[in-house]
Amino acid sequence: MTRRILHIGVGLLVIYVLLFVQLELTQVVRADALRDHPQNIRGITMVFDAPRGSISTADGEIVAETVTVSGARPRLRQYPYGSLYAHLVGFISAEHGGGGLERSHNDFLAGDDLGVRIQDKRDFFVDRARTGQIKLSVRHDVQLVARAALAGHQGAAVVINPANGAVLAMWSAPHFNPNHLSSHDLVSVADDFVALKSDAEGPLVNRADAQLAEVNAIFTLVTAATAIEVGLSDFVAPQSDTVPTQTIKNDGNITCGGDMASLFITYCRTGWATIGLKLGGANLRAISERFGLTESISTDLGNQLDGLLQSGEEPLSAPHVAAGIGVKLSPLHVAHLLATVGNDGQRIRPHVVDQVQGHDGSVIRDFTPNNLGQVIAPDTALTLRRMLAENVERGNAQGLALKNVEVGGILASGFAEQPHVWAVALAPVTQPELAIAVLLEGDELSDPHAAETVVASITRSIIEAVLRLPSPNVEGTQ
Amino acid sequence: MTTDVNQQRIVELTLLLLAAFITCATVAIAAVGDQVEITWRVAPYLAALLILWAVAHVTLRQRAPTANGILFPIAALLQGLGFALMVRIDPSLAARQTTWALIGVVGFFVVVVGIRGLHQLRIVRIPLGIAGVLLVFLPLISDSDPSDSEISLALQLGPLHVVPGELGKLLLIIFFAGWLADHRTQNTAEFWGETLRIEGDRSRFIPLLGGWLITSAVLIFQSDVGSAAVTFAVFISMWWVAVGRRTDLVLSLGAITATAVLAAVSVPELQNRLTAWIDPWSNPELGAAITRSSFALAGGGLTGTGPGAGNAEWVPGVTDHFAFVPVGEELGFFGAAAVISGYLLLAGMGLRIATKARREFDGVLAIGIAVFLGGQAWASVATTLRLLPPSAMSLPFISINGSALLTWNLALALLLKISETVPEASDQTTILPGIKLEAERQS
Repeated sequence: MTRRILHIGVGLLVIYVLLFVQLELTQVVRADALRDHPQNIRGITMVFDAPRGSISTADGEIVAETVTVSGARPRLRQYPYGSLYAHLVGFISAEHGGGGLERSHNDFLAGDDLGVRIQDKRDFFVDRARTGQIKLSVRHDVQLVARAALAGHQGAAVVINPANGAVLAMWSAPHFNPNHLSSHDLVSVADDFVALKSDAEGPLVNRADAQLAEVNAIFTLVTAATAIEVGLSDFVAPQSDTVPTQTIKNDGNITCGGDMASLFITYCRTGWATIGLKLGGANLRAISERFGLTESISTDLGNQLDGLLQSGEEPLSAPHVAAGIGVKLSPLHVAHLLATVGNDGQRIRPHVVDQVQGHDGSVIRDFTPNNLGQVIAPDTALTLRRMLAENVERGNAQGLALKNVEVGGILASGFAEQPHVWAVALAPVTQPELAIAVLLEGDELSDPHAAETVVASITRSIIEAVLRLPSPNVEGTQ
Repeated sequence: MTTDVNQQRIVELTLLLLAAFITCATVAIAAVGDQVEITWRVAPYLAALLILWAVAHVTLRQRAPTANGILFPIAALLQGLGFALMVRIDPSLAARQTTWALIGVVGFFVVVVGIRGLHQLRIVRIPLGIAGVLLVFLPLISDSDPSDSEISLALQLGPLHVVPGELGKLLLIIFFAGWLADHRTQNTAEFWGETLRIEGDRSRFIPLLGGWLITSAVLIFQSDVGSAAVTFAVFISMWWVAVGRRTDLVLSLGAITATAVLAAVSVPELQNRLTAWIDPWSNPELGAAITRSSFALAGGGLTGTGPGAGNAEWVPGVTDHFAFVPVGEELGFFGAAAVISGYLLLAGMGLRIATKARREFDGVLAIGIAVFLGGQAWASVATTLRLLPPSAMSLPFISINGSALLTWNLALALLLKISETVPEASDQTTILPGIKLEAERQS
């Protein structure tokens, strides 16, 4: 009998070893992955009632702050501008977690970060509530203009300073009011949250960095960069209306061709596809990777950007990619691409947070420009900017032209799956101070020409706001 | 009181003082932490708990001085930790838990003092068995709300929260130990040799069939994989130790596997739980407890948030079936591993007691209780760690699960009874000279 009792003992030991292994996996090995899991709202709901730092824009407007209130809960999180910064700053709620910076930068705001917690020598000995104040790179005036310009439309706009990667504005519509989610009335918060989540238009989604749309003509900028970098800058595409072995057609089935500059301003798909055949997929992929378009890059928004260069499950052929057909990117990525071209080929990670400051305004963390390396030669970037300028001067993007400033840009549209139009621009194109990407989508975009006019005027008004141009420029070329 | 205190009791007292210190320290640390509502209100309950331990210890000193001295302090420590962590989460549970601790110690007292010899239990095994079956299946008969997403097998009797399943299982273990002790001789491996043979009395299949039926019923009607696994493990362990025939073991394992597979493809409620278990991320209703317990445990990390600093109240059922979550979150990997080791130690000690038991009935009973305790603790922890599908398994001594505390106190008292190394009081011939000697020396 004793020997068989030993069997039981061994069996018990074996299943308990399983328990220890799984405990180790959950609490130690996979702990970080579980802590960062998107469904894990534990960290942020824990600090809902705790003191919390404010968030302010580059020009000093407070966009999120915690105030002391009387009632069952001691503090209330308020967003003075409502939905204006909803997608960027996000929200914090008692039961439904949080979003945006409120979630990704929770450690700084709540004072869990060591740098925030220990601000001077006394903090080693006295446990005081220390919080971090977040200073955004976003400019309040630009953000206001972006919202006003996109009023009534569904879409997103991103403005980046090419020199340092600072995001100057990021607006996404439809939107939501974070004050409704941070309220202490938990029943109405739950109702609002369910309504927002089940809304088919997805107001909680930050379209500026989560919405992927086919980029078409915009990607020819990357193709041109590839061609120049591999020494094919003098390639001349034969006049044609088809590409061998491909189903690619031009708008209106016209015949086109010529050197790269003329292919660019007419968006000659067959010509770009021919270049794509010549370049091959590997070259295109290599440059796309250097631009950060194939991998997922993360801004300090804490969001992962992925699913790029895709079209369903099948990998795209080189001619399709070269012409931008089926290539999908987010507005943030497109703005980032333009910014890299505008910064002489130096790629700088886009960021929305400039600094984290302590209680006395001292800088605890400085998100200095994060240089990701020279993507293309400065000469190549210069050539690309010249092509962009020419495109506005006499090509497809004439709607983007302004009187006092030379603008380079691209207008693109896609009506195959979800109708959408793009406008991207660098201004001033010789010495760019901003890179902008605007994406409009929705069913009202039935007329391609009218849609491009709308998106161009939106883009122009934002450029004017950033450069603080006097208002007569509003007339543009229309 | 004799001046010659048994070594076991000295060990017990030392460890018990340590357990009391750890419990008080945990309550105190939780009380000074931020955002916690522990007030001095819980102090009387804590004091009552410690007094109950002292009562149990004195009872053992008087009535079972040679019983094992390590079992009770481990159980007390687990109970104390449970009290500290659970009361922090819901201070209103303090009164309830103390009431049940009182009832538990009364049960403990009744077993240690009231049962002179374990053979008394063997006499009443058939009524106990019938009562056990009734208790296990009572929650099924009473109408429960199927739309309730939280798995619960409990009854509310006035102010008392009664979980009859566990008490039923304990009674069944007593019955089964008696049955095996009566009937095993003709069918054991010792009798037939351990080769694969099917000869023997056909009645030997009765216990296997019974165990299989009860396990299947638990699996099919309660859809509770953890409970079914523990039930089967208890039966098969007791049977294996008592009888130990490999042919029959293979047959019963085959039968239970077939039942489990059949149930998994045909019982919709079980399927729901299995899908929620496999992919909890896309099943917010049933999966919430699983994902949240994983998140909370991960939040604890290696060293934990510290008592009172956790956020486990976020996990549904945290004071009951998911009681391991605050343990892991607030005490960290180290503390959680120590608690799991505590259960392993209890179960291992039970097995050791079984090897030294003086009668077959005692030995098989000790095996049953040890596997029941170790298995239930394992299943409860495994559920929170996502090793098992969602099950309604409370953590012995730690969970605030009403009558479960009584059941575990009874089981503990039985183990202590079995572990006594002197002959029982009914056999007075050997114990009297010792007392005489004692009296002579003092005079």
